[in-house]
Amino acid sequence: MQQFIAQTLNGLTLAGIIFLVSSGFTLVFGVMRVTNLSHGAVYLLGGYIGYSVITATHNFFYGLVAGALAVGVLGLILERTLITWLGGREMAELLATLGLIYVLDDISLAIWGGTPLTINLPGVLGRSVTLPISGIVYPNTRLFILGVSIVVALGLYLLLRRTRVGAIIRAGVDDREMVGALGINVRLVFTLVFTLGAALAGFAGVLGGTVLGVYTGGDSDILLFALAVVIIGGLGSFEGAIVGSLIIGLAETYGTAYFQAVAYSIVFIPVIVILLVKPEGLLGKVTR
Amino acid sequence: MSAGPAPRGASQHAPGTTHREEGQQARTGAVALSPAGPSSPPGRGARLTLTVLRGSRRFGGPVAGVAVGVLLVLLLQGNGFTSTLLLDMLVYAIAAMSLDFLGGYAGLISLGQAGLLGVSAYGVAIAEVHFFSPWAAVGIGLGAVLALGLVMGIAAVRTKGVSFVIITLALGQVLWGLAFQWVGLSEGDNGIPLTILPSLGPFDLNDPLTLRMTVLIVFAVVALLLVTIVHSPFGLSLRGVRSNETRLAALGYRTGLHRYLAWVIAVFFTGVAGVLYIFVNQLISPATMAFSEDGLLVIMVVLGGLGSIWGPALGAVVIVLFQQELSIYVTRWQTLMGLTLIAVVLFSPGGLWGVVRAAGRRRDALIARLEARQARPAGPGQSGAA
Repeated sequence: MQQFIAQTLNGLTLAGIIFLVSSGFTLVFGVMRVTNLSHGAVYLLGGYIGYSVITATHNFFYGLVAGALAVGVLGLILERTLITWLGGREMAELLATLGLIYVLDDISLAIWGGTPLTINLPGVLGRSVTLPISGIVYPNTRLFILGVSIVVALGLYLLLRRTRVGAIIRAGVDDREMVGALGINVRLVFTLVFTLGAALAGFAGVLGGTVLGVYTGGDSDILLFALAVVIIGGLGSFEGAIVGSLIIGLAETYGTAYFQAVAYSIVFIPVIVILLVKPEGLLGKVTR
Repeated sequence: MSAGPAPRGASQHAPGTTHREEGQQARTGAVALSPAGPSSPPGRGARLTLTVLRGSRRFGGPVAGVAVGVLLVLLLQGNGFTSTLLLDMLVYAIAAMSLDFLGGYAGLISLGQAGLLGVSAYGVAIAEVHFFSPWAAVGIGLGAVLALGLVMGIAAVRTKGVSFVIITLALGQVLWGLAFQWVGLSEGDNGIPLTILPSLGPFDLNDPLTLRMTVLIVFAVVALLLVTIVHSPFGLSLRGVRSNETRLAALGYRTGLHRYLAWVIAVFFTGVAGVLYIFVNQLISPATMAFSEDGLLVIMVVLGGLGSIWGPALGAVVIVLFQQELSIYVTRWQTLMGLTLIAVVLFSPGGLWGVVRAAGRRRDALIARLEARQARPAGPGQSGAA
């Protein structure tokens, strides 16, 4: 029982990291119809940058901010150059971002090498705590990650539901031509969403680096989780990303704990079920 | 005045009245402005050029094909690095061509093909581990990938475009995950070696030369089959489904079935590539099925030219060359490859084959111009000259 509770907490932690990555991916798709396959590579790059800044400054939080900001700027540049040049051709965007994976991964490999790196949290965050009732000794790092992802999720929820910018983004998901016709600067919204998505991925990269590590190939792992999430939750749905992240995070953790031989593949069972039963995803709209 | 269609090349008769010749007459105006001047009659050189160009239009493809075939047969005689490299190229060319059939003609770009290639390779290896005869192992490998394709297709072809890419990526990763983690079946990260290849009387694939020639022949057969399918009524309606599904459905075509069949055909030929892969490499490991390999296959297709069958074979040649040869000299070849893909997507969506096609179009334009010049009412000395 104790082990099950610990595994559940592990699953929720993983779900938190996956959510940070997939929410950006799904928002970018929802608003811009861009399938950014390099989202995982951006996540990994954020982790690496965070690692370097933490090593240099000995301050985890500087690293967290630097990782998010640096790849946020990268996202801004990409949106203004590559994505704009491609002019909304969905398949061309997908293929170009596929090419971008090889470029970003190779650059990361050149700078940081192939040895897996781990980010350690400072002070009390790096220690463990005995949880009440169950008496499980659990690392603070994971609790911290869980807390931060909940805060970010709440922040994003409020941004999308309670602010003007959020209303514009949600309207963009529903009907972006209409948003443009209403005199709203859609270009600016695109840039904002893409930058935000990249920054979230970089943020998740630094956070995830503490428990998952920063390693070559970590990008495709997280990208696949994000893709599984958006298939389950529905492409473009923010709430779907929350539900999907919980399902995938828990499925992956239980799978690793209890079904070693098929752990990775078990994650995709809900994906296949959803595809057969409700191809547009749990909370997705019927695609055009 | 003859009203029948003038045979191609019969331009020396009196001013004709067919549509084609009228068109050429009209274009002659442009030719007249060329430096050659309106009065210079078509010389021997021009006629020779025209003959050569026409010949290249009619026979260029087959001749190039035979030439490449002969070259390959010669190069594959040796045991050295070259023939190993060529075999890898041929195997990946088969996989790339079948992916192109799916992506270029049915509009379904799959990011899970390396996983399917791995399935048939693992099928062969696992069957041999369990003491099946080599031929039975080949049957099991191909049967496994075909059965999987038939089942996966039900889920996959319900979608298209971007969703199809994402779904095939996910399904391909399931396969990779099984190969990586189901150690009891797949031996995990170490992979499974294949020791004995099939043989039948004097035909023995364990003999390196026989194996190399077999790979070459299978490549040629698959290529010709795919080209035939593409130009068949099924291939044409498949293209129709890609470009306007609603219309084809309204015309009574079963569009879903078209996509499903295209998927199954592509999966099967990818499986064939997988069988050859393990014959050539004699080892299959999860690395062959990784996401980056799925991406490499797509890069081969896009670089070569989506929707041209031969182009992706060329793309496979370039990428395998890059991966195995140039990577020794160019440390950051992956960056170069990624940038190349981006550049192709941005500037040359037709890929390498698009360049070849453009050259062909220029040649056809030149032929038309030369024909027009000859069709012009010739000077007194020229009329009647056969």
